[in-house]
Amino acid sequence: MTSTLIKRVLTVASVTLLVGCAGTQQPPNPEDPWEGMNRGTYEFNDAVDRAVFKPVAELYAFVTPRPVRTCVRNMYLNIGEIWSMINSSLQQRFVDAINTTGRFFLNTTAGLGGCIDVASMQGQPRISNDFGVTLGVWGVPQGPYLVLPFLGASTVRDGVGTGVDFVGNQLDTIGAIPNVRLRNSLWGLEVVVRREALLTVSETVDRTALDPYSFIRDAYLQRRKAQVLGQEDAQELPDYEDYGDVEADERALGIEQEKD
Amino acid sequence: MSILMANVPCAMGVMGATGAQWFRVTARHAVMAIAGLMVSAAVAAAPDPKAEPPVFVQEVADQLLTVLKQDEQVRNQDMARINEIVNEFIMPYVDFELTTRLAAGKYWRQATDEQKQELSQAFKNTLIRTYSGALTQVDNSTSMEILPFRGDAQAKDVVVRSNVVQSANTQPIGVDYRLRREPEGWRIYDINVENVWLIQNYRNQFAQQINRSGIDGLIAALNERNSQ
Repeated sequence: MTSTLIKRVLTVASVTLLVGCAGTQQPPNPEDPWEGMNRGTYEFNDAVDRAVFKPVAELYAFVTPRPVRTCVRNMYLNIGEIWSMINSSLQQRFVDAINTTGRFFLNTTAGLGGCIDVASMQGQPRISNDFGVTLGVWGVPQGPYLVLPFLGASTVRDGVGTGVDFVGNQLDTIGAIPNVRLRNSLWGLEVVVRREALLTVSETVDRTALDPYSFIRDAYLQRRKAQVLGQEDAQELPDYEDYGDVEADERALGIEQEKD
Repeated sequence: MSILMANVPCAMGVMGATGAQWFRVTARHAVMAIAGLMVSAAVAAAPDPKAEPPVFVQEVADQLLTVLKQDEQVRNQDMARINEIVNEFIMPYVDFELTTRLAAGKYWRQATDEQKQELSQAFKNTLIRTYSGALTQVDNSTSMEILPFRGDAQAKDVVVRSNVVQSANTQPIGVDYRLRREPEGWRIYDINVENVWLIQNYRNQFAQQINRSGIDGLIAALNERNSQ
């Protein structure tokens, strides 16, 4: 009896040790020094999402025809154009600011309050922008990767940006509605609409990612870097070193392979 | 779809001119037969990897969309069928061994030839699932527009940019393809969706898994994920 117990304890202990080793073996990711804490928040967010947000979004997708969902989503995105425009101006991307202004007026009028994205059909796609990008353009470094409770992937810089976005984009628009019930309903619906728009993405991550945490982190950081760089420099390509070439060269030169 | 649509005014003209019930039916059959022929002709014209990169990518996309749009099972979001189509109509133009090698980075050299092959096969299935995930929303209004080519078609490594409109009245999604010139022509080896490059996004995951459980562990992890 006792020996079994001791064995069990030992097994658990050795497994813990092994896991501990596996953990320390990883070279820490310089962009994610708070990985331990972040993974905890990620697990929490994921549990909340699977229990609440995702099912509600799926229900919404199930009961609402796709054109209606697209319309509602477009209307929310349309309200957000004003804040995008302000940020493009702050970044001195004036062409973007002018295009976004044009989009806002066209879609609000001809597009029936933003329901129909007339501007995209005429070849002027949305240029999304926010204060995190503005800080990046101003030269503020992104800082460590940070998973925010409920909100998900972010960095220290983008977290500050999100706070400013909330004031600029939410409190000044839907937040300015005096009727509290209407205001809160609109915010509630916005959460559902935003989550619904991500359903296929999150399903693909579930189906393909080896480690969803890393997958989301690396995708987020790549995307934010491109947004800060802007359209002109988005052509900057990742430079993958092709070790197949290295191997072929070594073989051709008769060099013994060094395994590192 | 555009092929089918082009026949609609013609069919309506024929019907309006006669008005006879039997002729209408025959005309409709004829139109359907012609449309069917034209669609199969479009499918038969296989993409040419020796063409200019933007032309080649457009051909691959056109062929794929034609097949997807006329498939009953795709409309019912049958994932197994979408995977099959991706395997048949995208993978021949993708150098997945190169994709795998670049994602593995420096660890590639640690792998034996057998491991390299197994790893490529496992990651090929992950790639298929990635493409399929993006294609579940395809409907008759899905379209792809190739953006003006800014690269040098004489180079060995080029990027073709495109905008994909998944369904009516939605935002176009930016999708870029990275191609390498190989003896048999151009081959796609990396894809960028909304500023996220696929290989870049798997490098850390590969390294992480190899550090934890070696190359065999990575192969096993990929295969496990793909069997779910």
